[in-house]
Amino acid sequence: MIENRIKLYTILLLTCFTGYIWLYLNMAYDITKNRSLEVCIIKRLTNIPCPSCGSTRSIISLLKGNYIEAFKLNPIGYILVIVMLILPIWIFMDIKLANNTLFRCYQKIKIYLKEPKYAFPLILFVVINWIWNIIKGL
Amino acid sequence: MDIQKVDMFIMSNSKFFESHQVNRIRESLIALDDSKWAMISTLQLKDPTIILIVSILAGSFGIDRFMIGDTGLGVGKLLTCGGLGIWTIVDWFMIQKATKEINIQKIQQYL
Repeated sequence: MIENRIKLYTILLLTCFTGYIWLYLNMAYDITKNRSLEVCIIKRLTNIPCPSCGSTRSIISLLKGNYIEAFKLNPIGYILVIVMLILPIWIFMDIKLANNTLFRCYQKIKIYLKEPKYAFPLILFVVINWIWNIIKGL
Repeated sequence: MDIQKVDMFIMSNSKFFESHQVNRIRESLIALDDSKWAMISTLQLKDPTIILIVSILAGSFGIDRFMIGDTGLGVGKLLTCGGLGIWTIVDWFMIQKATKEINIQKIQQYL
């Protein structure tokens, strides 16, 4: 159990910090070349945007204060910003207080997401977002 | 349990587990009560090879993580474009081990 918790926290922290580095790189690149970097495998291979394409641009415009533009680019950007802000703080609090609130919360979310009544709206959201992305031609 | 039954189970299911764990599972199964055989023999285990194929084809959407029941990380992978493509590639190498771990957890409920 303890090993699992540490593993989960490591994965989450790594993902968060990669996200921060990625954001910094993109913003630095954005200023010099005025366009964004692209790593999405699906977009590179098929030229069709994936459901979360454009979320980097969305976060960058969020940071600049263009809330409506951010929503139009990709609503997932909002979710990612909230998660990226909360997760590191939550993990450090958990480690400092020797708690496992995040781990228990994660286990609960895992169980909830297996139930169709919670999973279906999420799937619908992602599919609608994907169709919207393809129409927008991100 | 009957040694012949256990050996049959191990022979047909050994690819679902890490090789160093197979022996331990065999011993625990032999020590197990016969009434649990029905549950053990109908256990739905995930095939690591199929998960690997799914991971290569649809890893960017996190489908592999969803399939092995790791919905939390699956959502993470889906929302971040497969972790900027890095996590997708890392998972091509990690997913088989993760699948085997999930299988062990599943059979552990009965042992």
